[in-house]
Amino acid sequence: MRRRAIAAAAAFALPVLTGCGAADMTKQSSPYADAHGARTVTLSVQSWVGAQANAAVAQYLLKHELGYRVDTVQIDEVPAWDALSQGRVDAILEDWGHPEQEQRYVADKKTIAPGGELGVTGHIGWFVPKYFADAEPDVTDWKNLDKYAGLLRTAESGGKGQLLDGSPSYVTNDKALVRNLDLDYQVVFSGSEAAQITQIKQFAKEKKPFLTYWYKPQWLFEQVPMTEVKLPAYKEGCDADPEKVACAYPHTPLRKFLNARFADGGGRAAEFLKKFHWTTEAQNEVALMIADRKLSPEEAAERWVRKNESTWRAWLPD
Amino acid sequence: MNTEPPAPSGPSVPSGPPVFSVRELWKVFGPKADRVPADPDLAALGPAALRERTGCTAAVRDVSFDVRKGEVFVVMGLSGSGKSTLVRCLTRLIEPTSGSIAIDGEDVLSMDASRLRQLRRHRAAMVFQHFGLLPHRSVLDNVAYGLEIQGIARAERRERAAEFVTKVGLEGMEHRRPAQLSGGQQQRVGLARALAVDPEVLLFDEPFSALDPLIRRDMQEEVVRLHGEEGRTMVFITHDLGEALKLGDRIALMRGGRIVQLGTPEQIVGAPADDYVRDFVRDVPREQVMTVRSAMRPAGPAETDSGPALAPDATVHEAIEAVVRSGGTARVVEDGRCLGVVGHADLLGVVAGLAPRTEAA
Amino acid sequence: MSTTATPAAEAGAPLTGGVARHRTALIGGAALVALLLGTVLLGGGGWPAHFAVDLSGPMGDTSDWITDNRDSHPLFLYFFGHISNVVVLSVRAVYLVLLAIGWAGVTAAAGLVAGCLAGLRPALTAVSAFALCGLLGMWVPTMQTLALMVVAVAASVLLGAVLGLAAGLSGRVHRALRPVLDTMQVLPAFAYLLPVVLVFGIGVPAAVLATVVYAAPPMARLTALGLRGADAGVMEAAASLGATGRQRLLTARLPLARKELLLGVNQSIMMALSMAVIASVIGAGGLGDRVYQALASVDVGAALAAGVPVVLLAVVLDRVTGAAGERIGAAPARGTGLGWAVAAAGTVAVALVGRCTDRLSWPDAWTVDIAGPVNSAVDWMTAHLYSGIPVVGGTADWAARFTTWVLDPLRDGLQWLPWWAVLLLVGVVAQLIGSWRTALTAVLAMAAIGVLGVWDPALDTLSQVLAAVAVTLLAGVAIGVVAARSPRLERVLRPVLDVFQTMPQFVYLIPVVALFGVGRAPATAAAVVYALPAVVRITAQGMRAVDPVAMESSRSLGATGWQQLRQVQLPLARPALLLAVNQGVVLVLAVVIIGGLVGGGALGYEVVFGLAQGDLATGLVAGAAIVCLGLMLDRVTQPVGRESRDA
Repeated sequence: MRRRAIAAAAAFALPVLTGCGAADMTKQSSPYADAHGARTVTLSVQSWVGAQANAAVAQYLLKHELGYRVDTVQIDEVPAWDALSQGRVDAILEDWGHPEQEQRYVADKKTIAPGGELGVTGHIGWFVPKYFADAEPDVTDWKNLDKYAGLLRTAESGGKGQLLDGSPSYVTNDKALVRNLDLDYQVVFSGSEAAQITQIKQFAKEKKPFLTYWYKPQWLFEQVPMTEVKLPAYKEGCDADPEKVACAYPHTPLRKFLNARFADGGGRAAEFLKKFHWTTEAQNEVALMIADRKLSPEEAAERWVRKNESTWRAWLPD
Repeated sequence: MNTEPPAPSGPSVPSGPPVFSVRELWKVFGPKADRVPADPDLAALGPAALRERTGCTAAVRDVSFDVRKGEVFVVMGLSGSGKSTLVRCLTRLIEPTSGSIAIDGEDVLSMDASRLRQLRRHRAAMVFQHFGLLPHRSVLDNVAYGLEIQGIARAERRERAAEFVTKVGLEGMEHRRPAQLSGGQQQRVGLARALAVDPEVLLFDEPFSALDPLIRRDMQEEVVRLHGEEGRTMVFITHDLGEALKLGDRIALMRGGRIVQLGTPEQIVGAPADDYVRDFVRDVPREQVMTVRSAMRPAGPAETDSGPALAPDATVHEAIEAVVRSGGTARVVEDGRCLGVVGHADLLGVVAGLAPRTEAA
Repeated sequence: MSTTATPAAEAGAPLTGGVARHRTALIGGAALVALLLGTVLLGGGGWPAHFAVDLSGPMGDTSDWITDNRDSHPLFLYFFGHISNVVVLSVRAVYLVLLAIGWAGVTAAAGLVAGCLAGLRPALTAVSAFALCGLLGMWVPTMQTLALMVVAVAASVLLGAVLGLAAGLSGRVHRALRPVLDTMQVLPAFAYLLPVVLVFGIGVPAAVLATVVYAAPPMARLTALGLRGADAGVMEAAASLGATGRQRLLTARLPLARKELLLGVNQSIMMALSMAVIASVIGAGGLGDRVYQALASVDVGAALAAGVPVVLLAVVLDRVTGAAGERIGAAPARGTGLGWAVAAAGTVAVALVGRCTDRLSWPDAWTVDIAGPVNSAVDWMTAHLYSGIPVVGGTADWAARFTTWVLDPLRDGLQWLPWWAVLLLVGVVAQLIGSWRTALTAVLAMAAIGVLGVWDPALDTLSQVLAAVAVTLLAGVAIGVVAARSPRLERVLRPVLDVFQTMPQFVYLIPVVALFGVGRAPATAAAVVYALPAVVRITAQGMRAVDPVAMESSRSLGATGWQQLRQVQLPLARPALLLAVNQGVVLVLAVVIIGGLVGGGALGYEVVFGLAQGDLATGLVAGAAIVCLGLMLDRVTQPVGRESRDA
């Protein structure tokens, strides 16, 4: 009897604690938001440095020009959509194209609103270092790749050539590509971009040939010049079935997305983020400062902001 | 065997209504334990055979006795004889398998949980071999623990506890933790805790076995003193014959779950019921236990007036001194009447264990 | 075993040795027969496809259903929603309080609480630790992590205590709960993330709940252990005084179990802290997120700046709870009430001063940038150690050689073995070390991996675990033996081991990438570093616990140091050594899985992939396989009589 009473009390305690009725967890913001009386914007930062550069500059301006407190959370691309729809983050500044998520959250549920383009165009591809391409010019065509498989063998790739892939979170068709193009290569996932960059740098230092999945814009090109390997040309819809892909990656205009409620009620911060628009070169400049010169993102952003006032003035809300 | 409550009342045994009255008590451990006492065939089996047939062990077998008001009743036996199980059955710390137990005429086995708690809280308190003190409480709070359980308010119970801390000689140590005390001091705390609830009966389960010999003697004297002061009924479990003889008004000697002999120390030593008991008491200094009552012979015509007078419960040891001094016989006198006399031969006969007089048995 | 003299020991040895040999021969014979039968009847090859179940369809559907219904289905609105709400509200409340007290107030409170609970030294440690967190520029993330920790630990302790109470009081609950708790204890933290994310989505509630699930079992175990282990004599004394069941529980059983309860809290805190960092993968924020972000840009310096506060928090909390535990049962606490009053007043005063002077946030000017110097040091290291050192080669060369000569043959060998031979091997090893029951569980767990359809990646993970365990044991036992013999070395080693053991698993990943590049080698290296302290500690304890009489008698017979070690110490320390193997395996597995983040591949990668791509089907299958692998490894190395684990 008493036990039942306790169980009943426990069952009631939860709703009482959180207010009666339904509790929609898809509409809960981060517990760290809006502390200290300051309005807080939570930005999702993906793991690559370009995205950090976006966030750093946005954060700097939101903080110093508009008086917001900014939290950044690192979330992988796909879960970030989910978090964005729940309002646990307010904005994603750089999305590389997730049609399935866009359909679900923007078109169907309307919990996420498009925030316009970032101004940067992204492109994924297979790359070899320039010193390698200079020495063996025909490596830049996928048809000749098998010729060099032996040269690109590593401990991790077994008997085949190594195609170095990056973080599991990135958009990649490489396994299918290798299979469908019937290449003598093994895709080796480095598990994170950090690991991949470390590896590329080490290869470059020793001038060893390598083949890697990589993307533009990326600051690493400044340090390790790389040449893209031509894959069968991209045609609209050729990557529709991920199992049968046998063509290159498209050029994607990168886009911003905002939580729908934030887009409407986010005031000046939301307006600013919608207007945020810069160039590949600008992003690279900041990214290089962060990743290569090891400045803190805030410091890097500060330096860029000081030099480029005319650019960012236009982003501020009227 | 001596399982029926024997009537003999030596002069030193206080008489009165029984506090505990135990009849045909069994405690069997193992699967389906009930059938063992119920089935005469099984009940008659020895331990090994019983274990083989039923997987059960009978710790207490068909035990009956009375504990009289004001006496120190000792249950003595070697380890495994069932004595500790027996004492736990009295307050149902171990649930007996069959038989009956009555305290002041009230049936213990039919008590409900709350009545049983009342019994444990107010009527019978126990002192344990390993003390059972709460390590996180001070001496004072340990002594007050029984009162706390009864729901007595903090100030009052601490006041009463302090009184008993003094009584057992632990003044000044009220705020120590048990771990900071010696074994003897810890057992004093255990004793004070039992006394503090002012129980009708004190149950001791080998309370001094874990102590050093010297401290054990102190503690035994403490118990003798307390019994002398308060006259509280005590049931005392021990495996030490010396302790049993020293403290017990009556002793129940257990073996294999049964009581093999129940009687006064003098009866046990003077008239062992069987070879087991005889073997057990062989090394006892008989002159310290036996009284002149069992050593005396009827007085000859010339002996009724001469010689020193002795009380009937004087030990043989004392009589030897008197007889040696007088050079002749000594008279045993009770209420001015001469019951008999003891001489050299009588006393030596007792010491040698020869021809025990059957008068007392 | 006799302790009097060596002859007696030798007389005993052939007897037990004979039985053991007999048993070994029996099992070996049976295995051989099975091997022949298997070859004839089953043939070779990996796990047959028709025995595998493809779960990705149903799991994908479930995942989609949950995402679609999270904002509409009553189960989410009225149950999970409230849980999530409570978590968010409580974390927020704690966080706001911490911010309101300000940095000075928090530091003062930490010092005063540590002082009241544990004494002066822990108090100083606490104050300097918090000050250092501020100095490193990590004040706000530290507070976020602290807020999350407070809530997660409170919930874990509560949940664990309730479960432990049930198990401690009811034998039936205990029997039902124990295998579950035992299993949860060996599971890598990573395996907990996915199911929670599935229900709650990325964010703080998921992080808190994953942490609770991870941190509650030790509390439950220790609570049950403490309650069940209550001194029977004291309990009987309480009963004899007429205590009711409730009185017995509150006045005797619970107080008697205080040491275990406090140890449970300590363990829960440690587990929660290590999970709070891993949970950054699912959006926990705070320090873990900073480590994770720094890891993403190979910024070892920044990762260290965020990792150091984690370690500091761990050390402070460990010291304070540990010291509080040791104080129990000692002198009666005098004037504790006063101490707490002073602590509370002091905190309020400092917080007010902070408020009035408007110094709530850690002053920016007071931060020290360690990232720069650390990065230069790391650069220098990678530049000079990484490769091209004459004769010994660089770390990268070692990594490559280790991969080529150890990891590859091991993986290929395991994958080449027919599937039934692997099962047989697992069964035989488990049987030799443990009992029929452990062998059966191990074989079933291994078979489950095949059924889940991840046989090859699981064997890949297994090969990494085996390689790492081998290295760990070689190094750990050697160090342990030496440490047991040299008190001086032990004194030097001890604080190092302490710190290493309290460090969250994540922190190990950063330096190994810098040194060993990407791949399976760094994953195994991180695993070795993580598991080594426990192995060293257990070995040293086991060796020192060897009966001194046996040692003395062998010395009196003129045995050399080596003979003593081989003939007396090692055989007598066998239980400890087996325990070291067991612990080593469990710890190594945990890090090899996380190694998926630095190119370890296999199951760890699939979990990361599942999380990163929102492809929960892949992740959940891999997670389940990790669970099975952990279960298998634990059972295989499970010596008979697992009671030793509780100690």
